[in-house]
Amino acid sequence: MELNWLQDILTKIECVGPFDIRRLPEDETWVVIPFDKVFDFVKFIMEDDSTWHLSTITGQDTGSQIELLYHFWLGHGLTICARLAYENPQIKSITALIPGAAFYEREAAEMLGISFTDLKDESVLLLSDAWVKGWPLRKEKKEKHDD
Amino acid sequence: MMTKLKIPIGPHHPLLKEPISFLLTVEGERVLESSMRLGYVHRGIERLCQERTYVQAVHLIERICGICSHVHSTAYSHAVETLLGLEVPLRTHYIRALLCELERIHSHLLWLGVLAKNIGLDTVFMYTWRDREIVLDIMEELSGGRVSHTINIIGGVKIDLDQKMMDMISEKLEELAPKLTIALGLFENEPTVRLRTQGIGVITKEVARRHCVVGPIARASGVDIDVRRDVPRPPYNNLEFNVITHTDGDVWARTLVRIMETRESHRLIQQILSQLPPGDISVKAKRRVSPGEVVSRFEAPRGELFYYIRSDGSDQPARIKIRTPTLPALSTLPEQLRDVNLADAPVILSGVDLCIACADR
Repeated sequence: MELNWLQDILTKIECVGPFDIRRLPEDETWVVIPFDKVFDFVKFIMEDDSTWHLSTITGQDTGSQIELLYHFWLGHGLTICARLAYENPQIKSITALIPGAAFYEREAAEMLGISFTDLKDESVLLLSDAWVKGWPLRKEKKEKHDD
Repeated sequence: MMTKLKIPIGPHHPLLKEPISFLLTVEGERVLESSMRLGYVHRGIERLCQERTYVQAVHLIERICGICSHVHSTAYSHAVETLLGLEVPLRTHYIRALLCELERIHSHLLWLGVLAKNIGLDTVFMYTWRDREIVLDIMEELSGGRVSHTINIIGGVKIDLDQKMMDMISEKLEELAPKLTIALGLFENEPTVRLRTQGIGVITKEVARRHCVVGPIARASGVDIDVRRDVPRPPYNNLEFNVITHTDGDVWARTLVRIMETRESHRLIQQILSQLPPGDISVKAKRRVSPGEVVSRFEAPRGELFYYIRSDGSDQPARIKIRTPTLPALSTLPEQLRDVNLADAPVILSGVDLCIACADR
């Protein structure tokens, strides 16, 4: 992937450098951007590259933060990493741009307790109706489970 | 004004092979809209993997799906090997790809049989499932398992192919070829198939892309995407094959794409056998994985299979994310099941190649 292309988009959506860009194996580029810029970033990618494909969205608990990873395929891999607060993580939904992201966002919501603003269908995707509370992929849940 | 009825299909229903719940709102013979509920076979595999070692997780991952179990463990093993910086022998890639292509034939024949059954062609259903047995026999001879093969380990594969085994596969492939011609020809030439599938369950290219659809469904809608070609890695970068696409986006187009892909996979297996390089089948892998992240994409029978793994330096993965190809396909169902004939609903449902165990994980 051309780093200039990536830096150009980051500048256009008014991100302030220095930019956190890494190369991963398997021709994958990893870029960290502020969570409130994700929507604009995705919009730019879609306008700039007509072959875009969103593979999925990964939510993960790193212990101190909640991360959302948007995995794109643009002839090469691009992962956009957005870091959210541990308490009440919140981010704008991208379903207005990519309706197929709804399943991925709903899964991240119920597994990690992330709130997606503008997500129309917030119903449970995978967990049972009998599931009372707690987020299965949060580290704190594991500690309770082990007890 | 006719009364609107709500018809529940599932979570347990004779039409469905696995549990999922649909609620169709019907007025007379027309389906007005639909909703669905997933999760009836959610086993929390991502979380369970994070509580096991990298080696133990292979066996759990094989059990995500009963049809494409091998490609799951291949994508996972490849991801861990990449994190470890391991260069697995070339022969390993060929043996893994051989099983992947056998799985593709098995999966496509299974799907064609389900479609035939749902449109009332029970004889064709029996032909395709009979022929599928030949592929299952090969896999059983190779690995000892018809469904779960567990040939992958971190660092390679557990089984090697000797000349006797290769001769057996070649013989079975020869036996399969004329049967495929008859069974697949029935789909192409039987007018009933066209009548029941043409113009049904149409997904336009734009809808397919915005719903992130992958695999034969995306290709039948004109989205030219295939990980085997787009992520060049052995052995596919040394093999000749065509990526089959169509533009109609209906169930008929998906049928044609799968028919031609079955033939391509048959051709690929012959190439793999003739080009199989000599050498080892595995290398030793460390149990602990240095901190890092990796993304792994493989072409499962239903399309792009996605794995993300984060390691924290221990012998257990810190995070495993699995996105199976069925999930995005399911997201198009409410759109496909809007303002259609009720009699077409089973065709539309089979058209997305439901693999609920994969979607739910």
